[in-house]
Amino acid sequence: MKAFRVAVVTAAQRVLAERGGLLVSLGFYLAVVSVVTSLWRAAAGAHGGTVVGYSAVALTWYIATSEAATVSLNIRLIEDIGNDIASGTIVAELLRPASVVGIRVASEVGRALPRLAILSLSGAVAAFLLSGGHGPPDPAALLLAMPALVLAIAVNLVAQHAFAGVAFWIRDARSTWFLYQKFVFIAGGMLLPIEVLPHGIERAARLLPFMAMAYAPARLASGHFEPTLLLVQAGWLAVLGAIAVAVFAAGERRLQVVGG
Amino acid sequence: MTAARALAGTQRAAMAEAWANRRGFWTQVIAMVVNDVAWIAFWVLFFHRVGAIRGWDSSKVLLLLAVLTTSAGLVLGMLGNARRIGRLAVEGDLDAALALPVPPLAYLLVRRIDTTNLGDLAFGIVLFAVAGHPTPLRTLVFAAAVVVAATILTGFLVAAGSVAFFAGRNEAGELGFHAMLMFASYPVDVFSGAAKALLYTVVPAAFVSAVPARLIDHFDGRLAATLVGVAALFAFGGWALFTAGLRRYTSGAVWTRA
Repeated sequence: MKAFRVAVVTAAQRVLAERGGLLVSLGFYLAVVSVVTSLWRAAAGAHGGTVVGYSAVALTWYIATSEAATVSLNIRLIEDIGNDIASGTIVAELLRPASVVGIRVASEVGRALPRLAILSLSGAVAAFLLSGGHGPPDPAALLLAMPALVLAIAVNLVAQHAFAGVAFWIRDARSTWFLYQKFVFIAGGMLLPIEVLPHGIERAARLLPFMAMAYAPARLASGHFEPTLLLVQAGWLAVLGAIAVAVFAAGERRLQVVGG
Repeated sequence: MTAARALAGTQRAAMAEAWANRRGFWTQVIAMVVNDVAWIAFWVLFFHRVGAIRGWDSSKVLLLLAVLTTSAGLVLGMLGNARRIGRLAVEGDLDAALALPVPPLAYLLVRRIDTTNLGDLAFGIVLFAVAGHPTPLRTLVFAAAVVVAATILTGFLVAAGSVAFFAGRNEAGELGFHAMLMFASYPVDVFSGAAKALLYTVVPAAFVSAVPARLIDHFDGRLAATLVGVAALFAFGGWALFTAGLRRYTSGAVWTRA
């Protein structure tokens, strides 16, 4: 347990020390939020003030939150893990007396948390300004969105490790991150509330884990007080965490590395 | 003439290098095509739900995406180092290019093929053929507009990356790259006020996608001349900033392959 805590703290300290990287993340995040919220506000304006029950203000808070949940993470993590497995770099981590996937997830959580804090705070200010000085649609629901954001990045990280573990078998998993990312974009509700999707696809999206990575915190921040979303996220975290551990355990047994 | 031949040879070698790993080549091309299809899905779903917005509907946005993916595929795929100028400058990786008897910027640009973005190039052409209502005239304007948009994008990326020569860091280049592609992939008319002005000036995203798409739909000689003028301005600006920056370039004489 101490090893995981150290991994989280060390990674967080490294991210905080790299101010240039933080600045780029923040600039990129604010650009994305301003662009995507402009689009949705224009859509709400052209659609009688609401789109699938979301007002322009709710959509602004939705996008600011869904983007914070995803921009906080290393977008190419799957590629990086795949490269470490394919190149054999990961073999050095097998020598440690701690779970490889556990330490990796802990480090990534540590890297994501400072970014998440900075982006969420900036996102709240941006949402306030972009929506013409309107605060969050429901402050109580916004409070629930905070733990939901942390759960969202945790679910996303364990899912990426489970997904990237395929590199133990197919070696070249580099490009699969594109595919994964697109599921988060659309089925995960990052770019659009999943209620916008056609009925059949919406029902499928609600059954997939991607909704726990962006839609859940964004739905809460947009003024929908639905605490069950946190339970859904916790459930997916347990399931995907177990899958990631199983995939890495099986992969580590069949890993062969020449030289070192 | 000799320099042109050397540059053509460099690009052929870069292509051969990218093509050497066929499986990786096709995997990356297909991954980018899947990426682009997801964007198309987003826009189709969006307009299906909300209808037209400020004169933009799904057919106009598909034309905009055809121009953007083709021009960005051309620049980021065939001139792979265009987005890496800042990183190369900061990490002292330009030494090998400076020792060659060819213009360093031109050499750097043609030196690297980025396979993933060739998928964009292929996708953009197919998208125009399928959704761009191609006629001989529209195809001609599309081809010319893509070349001009690619020139603007290259000039902008080189200029943004060259800021690293002066700042010693590459954040401006990275941010410029992401901002340009982000803004260019959305209909320009959803923005207003200062944000819209920004897209026609500092981050000329409107000239990379929306203006060329408008020219294909409704050709206007004055607008076309403006577009060419902007391309000349950014091409010159990128070259001038890179050339001025080279005078400040320092490295630890690390011999790397740019």
